[in-house]
Amino acid sequence: MLLLGALMFCVGLFVVFTRKNAIMVLIGIELMLNSANLNLVTFSRFDPQALQGQIFSLFVITIAAAEAAVALAIVVKVYKYFKTSDLDKINSMKG
Amino acid sequence: MIDLLDIISPQSSAYLPWILALLILPIFSFATTGFMKGKAPYWSSAIIASNLLVAAYLATVFWNEPLTIRGNWFKLGENQFTYSFYLDKLALTMSLIVNFVALLVHIFSTEYMRTDANKPRYFAYLGLFTFSMMGIVLFNDLLFIFIFWELVGVSSYLLIGFWFQKKSASLAANKAFILNRIGDLGFITGLMILFTQFHSLDLDAVKSLMIMSEIEDGNWVVNFMQGGKEVISSMDGRWLSAGGIALFCGAVGKSAQFPLQVWLPDAMEGPTPVSALIHAATMVAAGVYMLARIFVLLDAQALEVVAIVGAVTAFMAAIAALSQFDIKKVLAYSTISQLGYMVLAMGVGAYSAGLFHLITHAFFKAGLFLSAGIIIHQLHHLEKGGKKFDPQDMRVMGGLRRKLPVTFFAFVICSLALAGLPGFSGFLSKDAILLDLAVWADIKGGGFYIPEVLAFMTVVLTAFYTFRMIYLVFFGEFRLPKILGDASLPNKLKEGNLWVTVPAVIFALLSFTFPFGFTLNADHSWVMEALKTPMYLVPESYAATSLLDVPEETFHGLHKTVNIVSILLALAGLFIAWLSYKPGAKLEKTFIERREPVGVLGQISFYHWYQNSLYQNIFLKAILAKSRALAWFDQYVLDEAVNLLAKLNVVIAHVTRWFDQVFVDGLVNLTAASVGKVGQLTRSIQSGNIQAQILVTFIFLLTLILLLVV
Repeated sequence: MLLLGALMFCVGLFVVFTRKNAIMVLIGIELMLNSANLNLVTFSRFDPQALQGQIFSLFVITIAAAEAAVALAIVVKVYKYFKTSDLDKINSMKG
Repeated sequence: MIDLLDIISPQSSAYLPWILALLILPIFSFATTGFMKGKAPYWSSAIIASNLLVAAYLATVFWNEPLTIRGNWFKLGENQFTYSFYLDKLALTMSLIVNFVALLVHIFSTEYMRTDANKPRYFAYLGLFTFSMMGIVLFNDLLFIFIFWELVGVSSYLLIGFWFQKKSASLAANKAFILNRIGDLGFITGLMILFTQFHSLDLDAVKSLMIMSEIEDGNWVVNFMQGGKEVISSMDGRWLSAGGIALFCGAVGKSAQFPLQVWLPDAMEGPTPVSALIHAATMVAAGVYMLARIFVLLDAQALEVVAIVGAVTAFMAAIAALSQFDIKKVLAYSTISQLGYMVLAMGVGAYSAGLFHLITHAFFKAGLFLSAGIIIHQLHHLEKGGKKFDPQDMRVMGGLRRKLPVTFFAFVICSLALAGLPGFSGFLSKDAILLDLAVWADIKGGGFYIPEVLAFMTVVLTAFYTFRMIYLVFFGEFRLPKILGDASLPNKLKEGNLWVTVPAVIFALLSFTFPFGFTLNADHSWVMEALKTPMYLVPESYAATSLLDVPEETFHGLHKTVNIVSILLALAGLFIAWLSYKPGAKLEKTFIERREPVGVLGQISFYHWYQNSLYQNIFLKAILAKSRALAWFDQYVLDEAVNLLAKLNVVIAHVTRWFDQVFVDGLVNLTAASVGKVGQLTRSIQSGNIQAQILVTFIFLLTLILLLVV
């Protein structure tokens, strides 16, 4: 399970670094979040009474939903403003 | 030991306001008369009249007891400067004379200046003059006397140049002022010598310390306390003589003595009443008055210089008066000559006689000037609508005795006094001077007979030029109608009105002997009694032989001789004048056609020993050459140096600018550029690519975790 989590995290990270589309980057971030959830759930085996890890992953899922909503809204706004969702072309922060 | 501060300690008196009134009234007249327009003459005359009353009141109160008032003025280091008034018989007499003559001149001027558009200014200046003159008379502090001395010079300058539209008048005013300045230079030097020695210029202090000063080994030493400290002043004994001579220089300028006397004939460019007041009666006498004030401080050598200068002046001016055409010029030279007598008198130690002559001369010479003023004024009226001529030229006069009888009377009486004939005031005073002079020459002997000879020759000359003037002006034919070709002129000529005749006649009456005592012996006159010759206060080895030490018999022995000789000489002069200038005489006939006298002697006389030319051709040229040299030096040396400096500055500025541009600016630019380069370097990280930023963040996070874990 831990190996799966690590794999998922690496895939998410790779997606975040390589995809040009903002939506794809968001998907990568979701992947990384879920790999973290997987880790939490796995480690909750060492705490069978309270199950803190599983409870905590529930919170993470909730927050992730909220985050996805906010992030998508930002992506829509960015798209409307720059007429593109290609992150390479959104470089007005360049010094 | 005596303390200087005790001598000059303040002294007050209830009469101070009265003395101040004598000063304030004339200055008030000066300040206000200018705004009075047509009423100016009456306004200023009234003020001067009240001033005369104040002077008379003070004279009655303090005649027998002199009054001293003193106050502190300011302190400079240890030296206390004071102001002080001293009312003795001399100051009182002078203040009466000044105010009296000023009043009569005001009255005379009312008519004389009636048609002049600027007459308020004229009367205002007269007020300023009276104020300054009163300052000289009343103050007993040499510093204050000097201040008012200068003010008198200013008012004289303003009045000589009253008709400044005339070039000659403004030039004459400048000449008078500049020559006076030369004399004043000496005055200041004298003040500095006295101050260095005595640390005070108060005459009381100077006199008291002069008594205590001694000659030790050729040094002039004085020892005194000043505010508790002991002061020992010592300088070479010759400074004592030098101080006296330097102070006398002031009198040489103001009283028109040789060699500075050339300003006085030119000063006749001013209005005639001004000549009467300032250049005959009062201001020019200020020099003699000052000599009287410092008389006791003069040593034998200084007095010799004074006597010789006086005698030379008297003789030279009398020669010059012989051949003048201008009636005022004759009177001017005569004034110089008489001033020479007064200065001579001071020099021989005849203090009372000199002052007596000052007083009598003030009256008879003012009378002569006013009478001449009437003649000029009345002749001036003939100019109206007719041809222009010079109303001061004696060549246009003649026979005026029938037309101007009152003027004739005044003029002749004053002339007799001037010539020094018995029964007239001039006789008394001149006789006193000549007597003292004779005694002095006998004591001194040798070359000191020369001043005596000059003085006695001047008696002949005086009588001669005086009666030459009378014959030319009042006798013979009226020459003007012939010159202008207008036969109606004699009928138009009228006697002056009461405004002008009354002052002239009053002066004529004062030229008789009786106002000074019913006597033909000067010693019995009240003036000689009142103004007693004081003893010299200078150290004994430097003091001149005082005439007070000469036994009475010596005077008595010489008195008759001097009397007879002077009367005979005066009559001789009168006779020669009659011979040469009586109506129809040869000289009188040729006189009218001449433009200037013939012969070497005549030329010397007419051009006043060529003194003016001498000054103009040598001194003035030398001064101008020096000025030119200085101007050249200024232009080519100083200016060049300044220019060089400026150029050098410009060069340095250029170098500095280059340094600024290259080094200072370069440094600043370098800083800016390097900062820019660093910025360029660092900005390359900021690519703006969000994924690259995340990558960097991630790597750093990883590194951080690794560091924390390991």
